[in-house]
Amino acid sequence: MSIMQYNGSAIVAMAGKGCVAIAADKRLGQRALTVDTEFQKVFPITDRTYIGLPGLATDVKTLYDRFRMRVNLYKHNEERTIEPKTFSHLVSHMLYERRFGPYFVEPVVAGLDKNDEPYICGMDLIGCINFAKDFIVGGTASDNLYGMCESLWEPELGPEDLFETISQALLNAVDRDALSGWGAVVHIITPEGVITRDLKGRMD
Amino acid sequence: MARRYDSRTTIFSPEGRLYQVEYAMEAISHAGTVIGVLSKDGIVLAAERQATSNLLEQSVDNEKIYEMNENVVAGVAGHAADANILINQSRIVAQRYLLKYDSPIPVEQLVRNLCDLKQGYTQHGGLRPFGVAFLCAGWDSALGFQLYQSDPAGNYSSWKATCIGENNNNAQSILKQEYKDDDKEESGPNVKSVGSQMTMDDALKLTCQVLSKTIDTAKLSSEKLEFATLTLKSGKPCIHVYTSSEIDEVLKTYESVIKPADNQ
Amino acid sequence: MDAQFAISGRDFVISVTDKGVARSIVKMKHNEDKTWQLSSHTLMSVSGEAGDTANFSEYIQGNVRLYSMRNSQDLSPSELANFIRGELAAALRSRSPSQVNLLVAGYDKGKDEAALYWIDYLSAMAKVPFAAHGYCGYFLYSVMDREYTPEITLEEAKALIKKCFEVLKTRFIVDFANYTIKVVDRNGTHEIRQDEL
Repeated sequence: MSIMQYNGSAIVAMAGKGCVAIAADKRLGQRALTVDTEFQKVFPITDRTYIGLPGLATDVKTLYDRFRMRVNLYKHNEERTIEPKTFSHLVSHMLYERRFGPYFVEPVVAGLDKNDEPYICGMDLIGCINFAKDFIVGGTASDNLYGMCESLWEPELGPEDLFETISQALLNAVDRDALSGWGAVVHIITPEGVITRDLKGRMD
Repeated sequence: MARRYDSRTTIFSPEGRLYQVEYAMEAISHAGTVIGVLSKDGIVLAAERQATSNLLEQSVDNEKIYEMNENVVAGVAGHAADANILINQSRIVAQRYLLKYDSPIPVEQLVRNLCDLKQGYTQHGGLRPFGVAFLCAGWDSALGFQLYQSDPAGNYSSWKATCIGENNNNAQSILKQEYKDDDKEESGPNVKSVGSQMTMDDALKLTCQVLSKTIDTAKLSSEKLEFATLTLKSGKPCIHVYTSSEIDEVLKTYESVIKPADNQ
Repeated sequence: MDAQFAISGRDFVISVTDKGVARSIVKMKHNEDKTWQLSSHTLMSVSGEAGDTANFSEYIQGNVRLYSMRNSQDLSPSELANFIRGELAAALRSRSPSQVNLLVAGYDKGKDEAALYWIDYLSAMAKVPFAAHGYCGYFLYSVMDREYTPEITLEEAKALIKKCFEVLKTRFIVDFANYTIKVVDRNGTHEIRQDEL
């Protein structure tokens, strides 16, 4: 079992009409054993940008703490909040700094820029940015998620429709993955604010 | 006689004085005033801007009051360039603490860190001291609202109301007179600072009163001032740096205590 | 092969560790305390590589005491857990990683609630209602899942722990003879003898 599959995770982000959504499962495992069923993998960076971190749990926390520090200092120096695109480049840079001893996470960034345009992107563990207009997936259930998203996603979905789509994509994908699941958290980011919902799926 | 001992920071004079440090404090006493007043619901910080000109882009510029962290805001008196170094350093210190403990840095620790840095420049390295004094207003869950004053020597002390910069003696005596204090004083390491019977309203009023007496110009206006308050919103510290129009509103609300120039 | 688990209620945490030290085929010690008192209201139980356990724990304990002395206030359990995790994470990618599994049990006096943090040797951290490290987990998680509720009282938790001992005795290959049972609550830390359960 590779190190990326040690703890188990499933993250997906989708772009809609004037909104983005990002969702993650809640399982923390040690190979086959489940240790925590409320483990946080998606973190707010600003009011309008979220990052999902699938992969090794220790690096998830280490990276989030580092991102928070850098974004706070950015805010103090620039006196404005960081844009999602700029933040993605910051993440990419921080990952590549560890090119020969990388963090074992493959981040997914979702946010709205200052013109309320949706922005989503994914990255590999050494920071290669994968920009997409539709959806980004990550984690042990990524293959399942690719299938689900490809069939369910369509352009110009509003916040409520986007919520339904992303939820179904995630829940069905994790049901076929032993290492992820135990419920899900979904964040819908709109210009008016963020709606967060907790989902209960197959609790196994 | 003093001339022989004042050019190096790293030596004492025969009278036991550190002249460079004292000269640094002298520099600050010519700088724009900063006043801080503690109340039981929050802290008010107000400062006088020195560089005013029509050509300056003031609306996007903070000269005196800076946010250090989500729970600490500081007013600066002295050399702006020196202050910038210290502010950047403090911001990094605060973020490092957050990284290490996942919790905002207690105010006193931030101030102490800042002061330890300043003290270093009075003892080794052969570099001149920072010509800056700070008024740090902060809140933490252990001690509540706190107001600290720090000087170039690296000393810091906790105050209920204080002033640094030009005319600070004048301001200090007015504050001493007007500040509504508790009759019974409790002390000890675990007692939360009370800020006595002052409310935010009282604090704002007192600040305006003191400002009007210490600032040289004929009329107080938002061009010459920077204002900030630190309060609690749903249990979390909230720093509000006032915009020019908000400052104008405050001045209007308390115009009764602001003495017009001809009544002096 | 250590037993290490803990259960937390709203205002208490019980930490349980076995007392045996074994090397190869020999049981060297029967009365080892595998917990470390970090502050009056926080306890850390440690298992893992021989030597790393004491080394890491002493380092943490020293730093926590230093903080308390320097700043005249204790770190809360969440701050402590974060600090510990950070140190372990820093060690992980250095020349000298520590292979230790930790359970940090504490009572937060500020928030008036108990907290239990599970930290594994890769410094993954989770705040959990109950936890175990090592082989114990395979046997005990199911028992705890069944019996636990967030409103569990101290007496119910003690009964649950007794059940855990029975499962281990019946099904686990290693016979743990003695356990260290400590409770952290509003008043600090106190130990319970196995026969008092």
